[in-house]
Amino acid sequence: MPLILDIGCGRKKFPGSIGIDMSSAGEADVLCDWEKTLPFRDSSFDTVRLVHIIEEVDNIFRVLGEVHRVAKPGARVTIITPHYTDHASYCSPAHRWHLSSFSLWFFSDKPAEYDYYAPANFKERRVTVETLRLWRTFGIQFMINHFRWFRKFWEYYLSFIFRGKTVEWDLEVIK
Amino acid sequence: MNTSTAADVICHLDKGGLPFKDNTFDQIRGEHIIEHVADIIKTMEEFHRITKPGGTIFLATPHYTDYSSFRDPTHRWHLNTSSFLYFYPGGMHGRDMWYTKVRMLERRNYVSLLRLWRALGFEYLVNHSKVFRQFWEHYLSFIIRGKLMEFTFEVIK
Repeated sequence: MPLILDIGCGRKKFPGSIGIDMSSAGEADVLCDWEKTLPFRDSSFDTVRLVHIIEEVDNIFRVLGEVHRVAKPGARVTIITPHYTDHASYCSPAHRWHLSSFSLWFFSDKPAEYDYYAPANFKERRVTVETLRLWRTFGIQFMINHFRWFRKFWEYYLSFIFRGKTVEWDLEVIK
Repeated sequence: MNTSTAADVICHLDKGGLPFKDNTFDQIRGEHIIEHVADIIKTMEEFHRITKPGGTIFLATPHYTDYSSFRDPTHRWHLNTSSFLYFYPGGMHGRDMWYTKVRMLERRNYVSLLRLWRALGFEYLVNHSKVFRQFWEHYLSFIIRGKLMEFTFEVIK
């Protein structure tokens, strides 16, 4: 059976997963302060999920480094977070970071001058942006998700008008 | 925490909280401070602790679409008119949020807009229609930009 880890699972733990959280109010199977170190052995999980949690952590690079460590080679990592143009990015007093659909490029593109930022290697298999309903109707969401050049154009020129809602990454762990 | 201010009490809010007993004050005023603290939830819990039951907490802070939210390198948080829902009973779609146990009621939540938008009547609409407020936050606030938010909370104990 594939082992699934749900980090910051809260009250909506992914079915069949092992949930880890700091708060006992949720459905966590493992209760600890996991932000610096995940209490698991190297290469343990087939899938790791971080749903509406990455925007709250103290250090994104450190957490994703730990995710990389506990994931098996070829494991898939799903990350979902508000796009920084959505009002939900600002609704929570726990949201430290406001992110765009290119915020994790350090992990996959490895820009030469900044490769020391993120030693962990991930392959970005798919990035999906959800926009507000009105813009979905107009086909903006379709364009963003089917043409990378349009997503870039949208992030640079259009995203304060045609506002985003959530960003979802499907990453593959490269070891 | 800075001795060159007009403060009567010098202390570090982020390290050790406020040096007052529980239920001491009738009103707490925090003008342009909440966007600077290390942890908003812990700070609000500390404000709640030293306020009398039924007392009020007044906060003024920039809306995240105002340039002043990004002008100051000591601003850690960028907030909107829904940023304190976690503290209201049933604040998360009718349910209580579990991030904190302290509860307060929202007595006032006023957002002022830039002068041009005020003159065109948008400030009136944003503050007098809940539906328009939500539409503005979701769709319009990067164009018709916000400025200052003023909150008054009533402490429940």
